[in-house]
Amino acid sequence: MHQKIESIISNIEKVMIGKREVAQLSVVAMLAGGHVLLEDVPGVGKTMMVRSLAKSVGAEFKRIQFTPDLLPSDVIGVSIYNPKTLQFEFRPGPILGNIVLADEINRTSPKTQSALLESMEEASISIDGQTIHIPKPFFVMATQNPIEYEGTYPLPEAQLDRFMLKIRMGYPSPQEEVEVLRRAEHNQPIGTLDSVISLEELLELQEEVKNIYVEDSIKAYIVQIARATRKVSEVYLGVSPRASIALMKASQAFAKMQNRDYVIPDDVQYLAPYVFAHRIILRPEARYEGITQEAILNRIINKAIVPIKRYAEK
Amino acid sequence: MKVKSFHYTELGLYYLVVFLILQEWLIPILELTKTGHMGLILIFIGICLTISLFNVHFIISWIVKITYIGWFIAKVYKDLSFLTSDGFSFLLSEMQYNLVVVISGRWLEITDPFRTFLFFVLIWMLIYLIHYWITVRRTIFYFLILTIFFIATLDTFTEYDGTYAMVKVVILGLLMTVFLYVKNIIIQSGITVHWYKYFNLVMPAILLIGLVSVVGIVLPKSDPQWPDPVPFIKAATGQGDGVEGGNSVSKVGYGTNDSRLGGAFVADDTVVFLAQADAKQYWRVETKDFYTSKGWEQSANIPNESAYFNVSEDINYSLPTGPEENAKIAEITQINPFDFIMQPYGMKRVELDPDYNSEYSELGLIMNTNTEKIYPYGDDKILKLDRYSVVYSKPTYLYSDLQSEPTVPIDPVAFEPYLQLPDTLPDRVVDLANDIVKGATTPYQKARAIESYFSRNGYKYETDNVAIPTADQDYVDQFLFETKMGYCDNFSTSMVVMLRSQGIPARWVKGFMGGEIVDTNGSIRTYEVTNNNAHSWVEAYIPNVGWVNFEPTVGFSNMRSIEFDIETSDREEELVLEEEQQQTVEELERDREQQPTSNRNDKNFFANLVDLINRNHIFFVIINLSILFAGIILLITRKKWLPKLYVQLNRRKTMNEASFETMYTQLLKVLEFRGYKRKNDQTLHSFAKEIDSTFGTNEMSKITHVYEQYIYGKHDENIDFNKLKESWEYLINRSSS
Repeated sequence: MHQKIESIISNIEKVMIGKREVAQLSVVAMLAGGHVLLEDVPGVGKTMMVRSLAKSVGAEFKRIQFTPDLLPSDVIGVSIYNPKTLQFEFRPGPILGNIVLADEINRTSPKTQSALLESMEEASISIDGQTIHIPKPFFVMATQNPIEYEGTYPLPEAQLDRFMLKIRMGYPSPQEEVEVLRRAEHNQPIGTLDSVISLEELLELQEEVKNIYVEDSIKAYIVQIARATRKVSEVYLGVSPRASIALMKASQAFAKMQNRDYVIPDDVQYLAPYVFAHRIILRPEARYEGITQEAILNRIINKAIVPIKRYAEK
Repeated sequence: MKVKSFHYTELGLYYLVVFLILQEWLIPILELTKTGHMGLILIFIGICLTISLFNVHFIISWIVKITYIGWFIAKVYKDLSFLTSDGFSFLLSEMQYNLVVVISGRWLEITDPFRTFLFFVLIWMLIYLIHYWITVRRTIFYFLILTIFFIATLDTFTEYDGTYAMVKVVILGLLMTVFLYVKNIIIQSGITVHWYKYFNLVMPAILLIGLVSVVGIVLPKSDPQWPDPVPFIKAATGQGDGVEGGNSVSKVGYGTNDSRLGGAFVADDTVVFLAQADAKQYWRVETKDFYTSKGWEQSANIPNESAYFNVSEDINYSLPTGPEENAKIAEITQINPFDFIMQPYGMKRVELDPDYNSEYSELGLIMNTNTEKIYPYGDDKILKLDRYSVVYSKPTYLYSDLQSEPTVPIDPVAFEPYLQLPDTLPDRVVDLANDIVKGATTPYQKARAIESYFSRNGYKYETDNVAIPTADQDYVDQFLFETKMGYCDNFSTSMVVMLRSQGIPARWVKGFMGGEIVDTNGSIRTYEVTNNNAHSWVEAYIPNVGWVNFEPTVGFSNMRSIEFDIETSDREEELVLEEEQQQTVEELERDREQQPTSNRNDKNFFANLVDLINRNHIFFVIINLSILFAGIILLITRKKWLPKLYVQLNRRKTMNEASFETMYTQLLKVLEFRGYKRKNDQTLHSFAKEIDSTFGTNEMSKITHVYEQYIYGKHDENIDFNKLKESWEYLINRSSS
């Protein structure tokens, strides 16, 4: 395990009990320059997760609580007329932070969702003909309630594609939940967290991740899985090449986390469900039968042939 | 560059195979059309193939090809150089003339040079088609099927022998199929292939083809399940003939050339004649007296004199006849008329239906006194009679006469032709004859001993796989001591030679034997005699009696009639022997005089190989079986020996980048033998963990980590392989113990 990355994760673990995997995956997405969608019912610690991560890297943390009446300007900011200077002044919105928590993203209207997601993709915002670059690092963690719940606007497919990973929190085990209660007896421990890594160090790590070597056979392996999703009968729409790129980048970050400077098939196998599942659109009949995207991906991975030789020598 | 050279070598290989197959097309065409210059035409094919191999621009390709064709025609037809004005104007005038002929549709007036030109154009187009098949369609199936069909047709309907061509074409075709199949796989999977890999892909199939071919050649082949269709087709189209000579394609039947005996022959059910007689007969045609060590010829020692007889006049010849009161008539109806008379033993005269053949005023018979072949003639021409009768009375030999000691010694001058033996006759033939006749006192006893020798000593009747003596081999010697199987010619010739070595005059007789009963009318039966009934046997001169016929061929029974006027223990023996022979006669009644199917002087490598394999049949079967058996054993026990082999192979090798991959793969294989098989979807990492937890070690993870680094990592990294060798050996030994 990479020392600095490990320190981030163990820092988060001080607050989050039994959520090491979620923490790792979140860090992977952050290192790879992607964004994360956390999906689960309210109250399992989604927000806590993001806050502890933000604290650990010493980044500027902003939070947007999405509600049905939220407007795009509430996200990206607004220009206000200043009578003193007789000029419009830009009041930056909460999106202009290093780590942004977009809470309950599916509770707002698609218009506002788009405003967020576009700025996520471009890493910049445009207002009054002016382009403002969002400072690096820029990492959005969105949370959403499962779409079956009342009063939600499901995210459009194209926008789901912008999240590198979709992670489920899940309930803690009984022992873990007892431990959660024990800690809650006193005060929230989140206030006690210190940052373990500077923003500069984080940027440096992100650069290093880009240099992790991906052998051609591994790329072929990723493509093999991606193409297979497009051929399954239960699937209406398989994953896009953007998804393949995301899987490769996530695998690089995961390899970096393991302190390796090359990607191995294990990285790909482990990350594929997190990267691909939310980008696969099932046929309605498959959904009624209770088939999940994860189940389909597992099936695909169990059929994909792992490369164990070098890609054809040249 | 490397890829390019590989590509050309690969294509070159395909074209070489195609060239060899095309050669098999060309040989029969040129042979049957009596066209020469095979070499030059082959060169043209070579040029065409080379041009399509290198994808030469079509203008250059046309110029080269047309120049070659022009040169060939000028050279072959006028012996002119293409470049001289004479040669050029010759070609020009030919072209002019033929274009006019073609345009006006007078096809028959096309000249030979123009036909040659068209033939070349045909080859050109054919090669273009093959080029398309190989490089675009990448399939050779139709071409192959066409080739096989072509050769099979020629082999069936013409005198061309396609046996080896067929074997060659099938082997070459299978090779080509393999090459193209592999090529297809390579293209579909999109991998780059190099020599080593290509070799690995192709080799198993090539080995298999080799094995299949050898097994195919060695395996015994059943006789054709259907009768030969050729005679039927020929009869139906009115071309029927069973007569030798001319351009007859008949492979079986009555032939005149016996100078080189041996070789297999093919059955022919063409009916030759119908005979109405009271019993089965030997139908004698002629005798031969001069043995050349390869076959029979007519000797020059006896002058070829002719004797003339009238119809219904008693024929005077060397054989004894029975009394007139026993005379019977046999009516012969020739379906495919021969120009000679079929003579039953004891023949007295030939008679003709008075109304029949009345167009000839002077009907008569000519007999060659040397061979005793009798031809009918009319108006000074040899005739082919459709119908005639022969009057015969079978001689009955008195047993006491046969057994009597010769009163006067045989006149060596008069019988000289019948005692002739070649100087090259091996001594062991004479020694064998001496052994056989030991204990026999009279010539008849000796002849009987030799006659029965074959059936008592396991000689086999066989029509296929009959050997042909090589240049320094004797036909009889080969049969008696080496092959011990053959058909009537082998048996009869051997008997004649052995009789002569014992001082008994003997001659070789050809004719027909038996036939199938197709109709019965009282005591008269109608026998249908086919080409399959052509036969040869022996006549020996027994003092006090004259010429007596003998039947040495296994499975045939003798039909001499003997009156046992004295009591003798030999009588029983005679009868027993008759019976023995009778038993097999039914199954083996087909024996033929034959024309061998293969050109004996033209034995090529393949023929020699097949001969060799046939001669050592058992030996090859045993070798093949033991190779197969050993292979199976090795395959079953590979789990035991393969790990040890791997350790031995790599003992002295240091682990480095080149050997590491192979050794890791070997390790995986050995683990697989032990039941630890990595599934295709399982990563090496998780597999290594599984192995380590089973063995309670961490060696596999250690070695796998480096392997991962080697295959997935940056290629310029320095990896220290050498310290892994211990782990490798440990794991191999662990998993094989």
